Amino acid sequence: MSNKPLPLPTETSRPYWEALKAHRVDIQQCGDCGHWIFFPRQHCPHCFSHNLAWKTISGQGTLLTYTTTRIPTLPEFTDEMPQQLAVVQLDEGPHVNTTLVGLAEDEIRIGMRVKPVFHDVDPGKATLLRYTGPDKHVDLSAAAPAQAAAPVVEAPAVTRRQINFRDLEAMKSLVSEEYSAWSNEFTVTQEIINQFAALSGDDYWIHTDPEKAKKQSPFGTTIAHGALVQVLTSQLSIPMTWEVTGFNNMVNYGSDKLRFPSPVPSGSRIRARCRVKAVEQVKSGTQLTLEICIHVVGMERPSVINELVILYM
Amino acid sequence: MGIRGDAAIVGCAQYKPEKYSTAPKAFHLDQIADLAHLALKDAGLEAQQIDGLVVTGSYLNEARQFVPAMVGEYLGLKLNFGEVIDLGGASGVGMAWRAAAAIELGLCEAVLCVIPMRMAPLGPDVDPMAMAMSMRYGGHSTTFGAPEAEFDIPYGHMAQNAGYAMIAKRYAAKYGYDPRAMAKIVVDQRTNAQANPDAVFYGQPLTIEDVLASRMVADPLHVLEIVMPIAGGAAFIVSRRDIRRSNGNRPALIRGFGEHIQSKSPTYADDMLHTPIGPASKKAFEMSGFKPSDMHMAQIYDCYTITVLLSLEDAGFCPKGTGMKFVLENDLTYKGNFPMNTHGGQLSFGQAGAAGGMSQLIEAVHQIQGRCGERQLKKHDLAYVSGTGGVMSEQTALILQGA
Repeated sequence: MSNKPLPLPTETSRPYWEALKAHRVDIQQCGDCGHWIFFPRQHCPHCFSHNLAWKTISGQGTLLTYTTTRIPTLPEFTDEMPQQLAVVQLDEGPHVNTTLVGLAEDEIRIGMRVKPVFHDVDPGKATLLRYTGPDKHVDLSAAAPAQAAAPVVEAPAVTRRQINFRDLEAMKSLVSEEYSAWSNEFTVTQEIINQFAALSGDDYWIHTDPEKAKKQSPFGTTIAHGALVQVLTSQLSIPMTWEVTGFNNMVNYGSDKLRFPSPVPSGSRIRARCRVKAVEQVKSGTQLTLEICIHVVGMERPSVINELVILYM
Repeated sequence: MGIRGDAAIVGCAQYKPEKYSTAPKAFHLDQIADLAHLALKDAGLEAQQIDGLVVTGSYLNEARQFVPAMVGEYLGLKLNFGEVIDLGGASGVGMAWRAAAAIELGLCEAVLCVIPMRMAPLGPDVDPMAMAMSMRYGGHSTTFGAPEAEFDIPYGHMAQNAGYAMIAKRYAAKYGYDPRAMAKIVVDQRTNAQANPDAVFYGQPLTIEDVLASRMVADPLHVLEIVMPIAGGAAFIVSRRDIRRSNGNRPALIRGFGEHIQSKSPTYADDMLHTPIGPASKKAFEMSGFKPSDMHMAQIYDCYTITVLLSLEDAGFCPKGTGMKFVLENDLTYKGNFPMNTHGGQLSFGQAGAAGGMSQLIEAVHQIQGRCGERQLKKHDLAYVSGTGGVMSEQTALILQGA
């Protein structure tokens, strides 16, 4: 169960949410003027009549507009990044807020036909109405994450450029503003966060108590320790195009800079990329500064920036 | 319809924009008294000449109810007119016309309109974490029964950025979209800010490339197309034009106004591309007897670039769907043929919450008074001012004329 805000049905809206749980879309229609109504009310916003009736509709419509967010609208939605927030115009007329699922960014067009996807976010208790393309088959049931995860593309086995650590010129040619390709993705579960809390002794509630975090944390949900995300680098295999050779010993010398610019909410997928920031000759060998950036998938702002200093000798 | 033009803005005060982290903290009641004092001096009025008050209610730190009475008591004023306004960024202009209407009806002589927006000191029992928690939903209600709590927030439909981005996307699908035109709005306003030492981005000019290279927040909005929140606050005084004053600062007569409230969320608007500034401006121009092309300046509420674009079109400065062309073909700086947001706009001046909209109104008054220094316009008798609250939820328009 995620810590995302869920709808609290009222006496007025309950039939709408009950229908969604049964994977059906029911909205109200005015018995006097015929106006279709969303969101549910006790009166018709066109003629103010109270003579309203619930009707089952197809739920199909057209995409009125959408946006792709590059910063989550709330930290709890970080696992959906990038969010595809959309407004759908139902065939009956009313507009509904929703998210698009199972559609790549280049498949989305304003004016396209869309069909409902019933997402049992809390099975038996809450179902949300999401939308996808007419020819898509999206199953968000059971343990599937809110967004159909993009298949992880295995890094192609490229032949890595071999560079002798003593060849300073070749080593310096690695310095670049450009980042590598992305690593595999790794999900930072609450279980992993709890294990790290036990191991490190840092069991502050902001990391370990989802109930309290929902009520009191500005993030609305638990977040991973910055130090945990930093060490998860070892779970992230970055496809490198080069390899340093010829050395007897390689020492992790520490970090020149370590920053945790944005949180990793529990349940988020993370990935990493890197670039060589500096290479210099030191007394004992060649020192390479590797900037490793760990991001929540879909987030432009990194969660960890680690300028790792590696000494080859 | 309308008014005789007997009410005028005669004095203003505005805190220099500052970061929240470094701005002084003060109780809102004290900020109100301080801003009132500054505005009175600017107007050349005595404190006891004030007999009307318009203040924001929903943001006031020290009270949620009986606000005008508490503020009046604290200031030491007896009021013939007390009003609380809740129109977000449209509040400044909304205050001006309410004050003018009360004065023209003979209800009062001089009305203080004020929005304090610096932080207040936290009480000893207030948990800063709980404060942060209460602010994370911004302008959205999470109260049981609030439609947005039930139908918007569970999908992540939250925050102004996403709403404005979806309006911009719809605009793009219907009329086309040129990111360079949108960036030019920012750049021209930033040019204006280089002639305004009070602007938060004074001394930091920008290029179109800078705007387009800035971080994408929600497609198609870059971070430099979005206002920066700052601490501040502002006030102005509306009085009878012939009130006794000790200085000769030129009054800015209130000649026309309009207001239109459409929907809380653009999702539920009939057509999110026909914004409330249309009907509000139509009424304001009709009331004043002027038309858009008569204006010497346009001080247009600019929380986002898309707000400016749609306001230019819907207020009648250019036909619907041609805003991008209009922006590219006209020089929007104080040196140009269509001076707009000559103080830098909120995009370059900074947005002090609901007081942000007052920055546009105060710039119009200062231009009319000929007090703008390097950025002073040669023709400066007629000004159009707009205000915007929520996500194009509610908008207000004002026509000012130098006496």
